[in-house]
Amino acid sequence: MRRALNDARVRTIGFVALFGLTAYADTAAYAHAYPTLHSRILFADSFVHNKAIVLFYGKAYNVLTAGGYSAWRVGGTLSILAAIFGLLGAVRVLRAEEDGGRSELVLAGAVSRRMQFTCGLTATMTGALALGVAEFAGLRAGGLAAAGSAFLALSSVIAVPVFAGIGAVVCQLAPTRRMAIELGGGAVALAFLLRVLADTVGGAGWVSWLTPLGWAEQLRAFTGEQPVVLLLPLAATVGLIVLAQHLNTVRDIGTGLLTSHDTAAPRLRWLGSTTAQAFRLELTSLMWWIGGVSVFAFIIGLIAKTTASGGIPRRLQQELARFGTGGVSKPADYLGLVFVSFVLVVALFAVSQVAALRHEESDERLETLLSLPVSRRSWMSGRLVLAATAAAAISLCAGFLSWAGATSGGANVSLGGLLQAGANCLAIGILFIGIAALLFSLLPRRGTGIAYGLVVVAFLWQLVGALLDVPRWVRDLTPFAHLGFAPAQPFRASDLLVLAAIGLVSAGAGIRYFVRRDLVGA
Amino acid sequence: MALPAIETEQLTKRYGHTLALDRLDLRIEPGETYGFLGPNGAGKTTTIRLLLGLHRPTSGRAQLFGVDAWRDPVVAHRRVAYVAGEPFLWPSMTGAETLDFLGRLHGGVDPRYRDMLVDRFALDQDKRVRALSKGNRQKVQLIAALSTRADLLLLDEPTAGLDPLMGKAFEESIREATARGQTVFLSSHVLSEVEATCDRVGILREGRLIDEGSLPELRHLTAQTLDVTFAGPVPVLPPLPGVEAKQTAPDALRLEVTGEMGPVLCALGSEQVAGLITRQPSLEEIFLHHYDGSAGHDLASSARR
Repeated sequence: MRRALNDARVRTIGFVALFGLTAYADTAAYAHAYPTLHSRILFADSFVHNKAIVLFYGKAYNVLTAGGYSAWRVGGTLSILAAIFGLLGAVRVLRAEEDGGRSELVLAGAVSRRMQFTCGLTATMTGALALGVAEFAGLRAGGLAAAGSAFLALSSVIAVPVFAGIGAVVCQLAPTRRMAIELGGGAVALAFLLRVLADTVGGAGWVSWLTPLGWAEQLRAFTGEQPVVLLLPLAATVGLIVLAQHLNTVRDIGTGLLTSHDTAAPRLRWLGSTTAQAFRLELTSLMWWIGGVSVFAFIIGLIAKTTASGGIPRRLQQELARFGTGGVSKPADYLGLVFVSFVLVVALFAVSQVAALRHEESDERLETLLSLPVSRRSWMSGRLVLAATAAAAISLCAGFLSWAGATSGGANVSLGGLLQAGANCLAIGILFIGIAALLFSLLPRRGTGIAYGLVVVAFLWQLVGALLDVPRWVRDLTPFAHLGFAPAQPFRASDLLVLAAIGLVSAGAGIRYFVRRDLVGA
Repeated sequence: MALPAIETEQLTKRYGHTLALDRLDLRIEPGETYGFLGPNGAGKTTTIRLLLGLHRPTSGRAQLFGVDAWRDPVVAHRRVAYVAGEPFLWPSMTGAETLDFLGRLHGGVDPRYRDMLVDRFALDQDKRVRALSKGNRQKVQLIAALSTRADLLLLDEPTAGLDPLMGKAFEESIREATARGQTVFLSSHVLSEVEATCDRVGILREGRLIDEGSLPELRHLTAQTLDVTFAGPVPVLPPLPGVEAKQTAPDALRLEVTGEMGPVLCALGSEQVAGLITRQPSLEEIFLHHYDGSAGHDLASSARR
């Protein structure tokens, strides 16, 4: 039990900091930006009914009070993060142990499957508690009432047990940890998509009851609390855990219920080199990434037209200007704003590709490869080029599909502008491939974890920096600050080239160091 | 004179504060079958990692056919095939795909010979690696390595996980390889594996090569152990050449026989023997017995006769 808590320490601390900071920053910023009731009413009228914004943050019930605003802004984002936390916690506990073979050792001892399962989930719940406390503290620091803050914290954190339950079920189904995370990520994305549908499409409000993220909204902290809604997530969690427990007793350790056939006629294409083989093995995963990004891009393009609504107060425009775009009054501006999330997605993808590289080494398959006449340089550079090409494909789809969606929805946006937005994604992708590659070669065991952390920090730095008043040079420390958010802002080609160049140089250095170091196992 | 297949010169490897390999000097000529023995943790796997250029030597150097293993691994590996102690393969690929992939990376294999090996080792090629048992995965590795007909075969505990039938198949393949002039470097902690195939043996302990020679020269390695139980108390036996006796119980005696077995049986035949078990000592026992403490001393006195 203690082990399970121990393992999750770093991740939990990271999330706790994240929660506390966001809660504080958003609340404080609101009080700062809209001190009078009048400004708040204007804000409520224009901004809140703006579908595009609602997509991001969910539906707001009353933004005239600081509490209502926080429930909307903070609650909206944090419940997604809580979902991710719950998922990762469950998968880590249930799957990483098995894949490492440690599960068999533990189970051979006095610990039954049931106990191991429960211990792991309890550790995640404890983490959820920590998150709730952090959010509560942040909200209080921002000046909100105690009871309301507690309820809001609870409604955000309630996503953790539900998604931990989903994570538990997914672990029983997927044959490998990676697939479990991919399936679970798909579930989070689906929940988010359902919330988007519920909040933006008129008449589909009932869909909100189908998704756990919608339940967080329905709890309506600060705006007429409905605690009875708490029953839903509780019931869902219990149901999911029971299902997972049942599946757990049914399957074999080390595999999942969804394994594909174990025999197959040989398919001998794409086996001529290490890069070709890597491409072949990564193909399905890549297809999912491209598919998912394409669908999201298309949908976002579709609703871009609805952002046009006049009368956005100047204060708000200033805030958004600081955030990076000119405002959200035109579809182009909206798309520019939204593309930040695609940039984040591509950055995460980039690091995940280098993480796959590290897996080859930690699973010692790299030993098998390098004992053949395969040069380290060609192996690593081949895979990095593959990663960059994949990132380019994803970026291209994001740009093109969002244009297609926008055009179908009737908005007038240029293809060139959105392809430039895609180029932003690609440049950041190349940058993080390079950084992750360098970390992989310098710090084999911890490198990829640190790389993921850097992506998150870089993204948040820009987000938080835009909301708080920090000097420009501080904000410029993150690569995200150097992007010109096309099509809303002018395209900053030279900045992109610099970012990409840094990425290439880092990758080169990474390859050089890798050629010189010992192979390091798990 | 042809370049030695393996040559190491004062090869040393340190991991942090641990000295894993201490000034190893090896010279293995082409065509030899060399057994590399040592208990777990002696440094055998470290040696192989250095020979393959997977780890970098702290000092000294290793060469395969005259090519530096760390600086030019790709050139060196063209003449080398490696079988790891544990099979590290791609779970979603089938056996056939793995063999094809590894073969192509090596620069081509003899397809007929590969098919013959698949039959000999009775491997189901169409099963995905994740569905294969450890022994079967080991077979995939073995076949991949043997089918390259590489000039040097580096084998790290190759029969761990193989059942005795497949162990025989393995020995047959090694004999074929040796007959063809291939060099074999077999690292193991199992004596019988080495005995069956190698003509020269090196013994590694705590990172140092403490003994080396042909098997007949290291005759003390082939001692037989007799556990004799008597009907009554242990009798006094006349001292016999090449026999060491130790009393293990009031009625039992353990005899380590390195010399002739005949006189021992004669001596025992005239006593009241209730039970007799004979076995070969494991490497661990040999080490405890012969190399405890005075590492270099024993080999000088007991080895060369």
